[in-house]
Amino acid sequence: MDHTGELRVAYRGDPAKLFPLALGTGVLGVVTLGLYRFWAKARIRRHVWSKVQLGEDGFEFTGTGLEMFLGFLMSVVVLAVYLAVVQLILFAVGIRFVFDPQSKVEEIAQGVSILLSFLAVLPLMLFAAYRARRYKLARTRFRGIRFAMENAAGGYMLRGLMYLALTVGTLGLLWPLMTFRLEAYMTERTWYGTARFRQGGRWQGLYSAFFHVLVGMGLIVLSVAFGVAGEGWMSGVLGTFGVVWGMVGLILYRVRAFAYLMAHKEMDGGLDFRAEPRAGTVVWLYLKGVLIVGLLGGVASAVIFAPLGTMMVGIEEASQLVQLEIAVLGALSYLLLLTVFTALTLVFISQPILGHFVGSVTVTGVQALEVVRQRVSDNGADAEGLADALDMGGAF
Amino acid sequence: MRPAGEEAVFFDGISARRQVVLVEPSSDGRGLRFGREMWPLDRLRRIEGEGLVLALLTGGGDELPHDPARLVLAEGPLAAWVRGAAPALERRDLRRGTWGKVAGRVALAAGALAAILFVLLPRISDMLADQLPLEQEVAFGDAVVRQVQGWLGGDDSMACTSPRGMAALEAMERRLTEGQGLTYDIELSVLDHEMVNAFAAPGGRIVILRGLLDAAESAEEVAGVLAHEIGHVEARDPVRLAFRSAGSAGIIALVLGDVTGGTVVGLLGEHILSASYTREAEAAADVFAYDLLARTGVGTEGLAAFFDRIEGMGGDVPEILSTHPASGNRAEAARAAGGAAGGMAERPVLTGAEWDALRSICG
Repeated sequence: MDHTGELRVAYRGDPAKLFPLALGTGVLGVVTLGLYRFWAKARIRRHVWSKVQLGEDGFEFTGTGLEMFLGFLMSVVVLAVYLAVVQLILFAVGIRFVFDPQSKVEEIAQGVSILLSFLAVLPLMLFAAYRARRYKLARTRFRGIRFAMENAAGGYMLRGLMYLALTVGTLGLLWPLMTFRLEAYMTERTWYGTARFRQGGRWQGLYSAFFHVLVGMGLIVLSVAFGVAGEGWMSGVLGTFGVVWGMVGLILYRVRAFAYLMAHKEMDGGLDFRAEPRAGTVVWLYLKGVLIVGLLGGVASAVIFAPLGTMMVGIEEASQLVQLEIAVLGALSYLLLLTVFTALTLVFISQPILGHFVGSVTVTGVQALEVVRQRVSDNGADAEGLADALDMGGAF
Repeated sequence: MRPAGEEAVFFDGISARRQVVLVEPSSDGRGLRFGREMWPLDRLRRIEGEGLVLALLTGGGDELPHDPARLVLAEGPLAAWVRGAAPALERRDLRRGTWGKVAGRVALAAGALAAILFVLLPRISDMLADQLPLEQEVAFGDAVVRQVQGWLGGDDSMACTSPRGMAALEAMERRLTEGQGLTYDIELSVLDHEMVNAFAAPGGRIVILRGLLDAAESAEEVAGVLAHEIGHVEARDPVRLAFRSAGSAGIIALVLGDVTGGTVVGLLGEHILSASYTREAEAAADVFAYDLLARTGVGTEGLAAFFDRIEGMGGDVPEILSTHPASGNRAEAARAAGGAAGGMAERPVLTGAEWDALRSICG
């Protein structure tokens, strides 16, 4: 096999460097009532991006906390109008069912009105998902050249809603269609400098990755059938099996769909990708991460709460002022512990899994990079503000 | 001592080509020279990355005023020299006028949010509240009362129902409502809790907590408080406030983000807000109460005395957190509203026996 023109992607993250950064920015976030979170995100991304390397060259994140903050301000006003009005109307309609369902029909109505209040934000979430990826790409550079994604969040939202409806309507059978088409929509609008990306492959190609989810779903259908037939015991066993099988299947699907979609992407000039992530490794990294976070988090909570515990002794006789002080200290300790856990999760769960996915990718045909030219900068619009306002940011 | 030239990697910001260049300090020692480029040390900025990644400060640039070109030095004598000699390697430059822009945007966002919270939301929620059918409002009110019982740490058994107490309560209700042409069918109840409080829930429900009966020294005081709550009910305050907080709670959570600590502050913020909503409503309910008390011959002295008593208890809660205005001025206002008669009752609201029965309604 010819290996010329091949470069591996690697992630060189170091927990000892990321943890102080994550914890420090997290504490600043608490102290500033959440205001610092934009700067925290920018600093963590600058760090993480620089650890991703293709061959010998690192990536760079050029986004700033300030622009994310400004984007957030803009989004919040838009969202406030939308949410306040939608929420109020739903509240007015659902008020009776939500508080006091009197009959079977009203119980269903209650469910529907809760579902509706979620559906009301769904279009926005799809819109924001596209915008967030566009912002991240617009602020990513490799070898001094900008990535970019076209301004097409509206189209993504409409397609997302359509494919979601199809997926729900077919009880999940058309899920791979949704995965494929939405990823293709984004990939086909992604640019590196003057070079455009394309998504090859077919949506049916995802079904081998989807196999175990289908098995799980089949078991659940069987369980329902047995339930209807009055075989409660059999139904329970099959249902449990089906849920577990389906959940494991979902992890496999995520990993294998990533591999399939990545391997079928290409960039102008003949640049291709190979990806070999291993689901077993992802699960192992996750379990290991949970164990480490649990252990270190346990130690941290002992260190944080032990002094408080000694103060609690004799609290009954303490004056009101002292009691208030202890209550405030308790709340602060709780927030601090939450910050420690968030930082630990980022460092010991999110980072290794990201590292595994990134490291599983090989780029072929790198000669194509030689002819890529710079593109003009994209102002980034809301700089991910909408996604932040909807609280849907991922780990990074 | 200037280091010798070294090989480094240069990306010119125009193409993705990787160029290996020989970099050396310029002859005057105030810059880096390579190829046809000359980068002055004072305009060098460090970019996060492996080795020493350098960018050049420019007037243009995009999100940061940096030229897109990058120079990557391996760790070594040259990189160490640059770290020592470049004066502003770590500076995060801001474009001129950035702070003005930030201040403008913050002001704009705050203004827009304030308009939404204090103008748009109240309008819409009042409109929606007015269209809520009465039967739905009653169902909602029952749910609210159940919820309050939950907060107070009890269940349905908290309701006080001694027959003679109920009869006294009914007598008081008749005295205050009969022939007054109220839109709501008032439904009174007493909950067994030591807190000195009474509140109106949607659908004409008024709940008295036992602590208030214990603290009051005459039936007229209780009647005064009830008149105030009936004022809330008739103004549809409870249902309108429920609608307003449903809208604003979401927005506050949104602004503060769901980061650690945000939620706690959100709850506090929501409380302060709903208090400021009710301030006008309180004043209106007071006026309604003075009027009702005068018309029914109960007189305002009882209410005034009760205001004095709350003040005497010395509230722990700061005024801004409390839903009621300071009690001192309200006692004066109540007495003033009583007119020449001084607000004394024309005839007692309850007989002595009835008053005793009401006070022991919780057994």
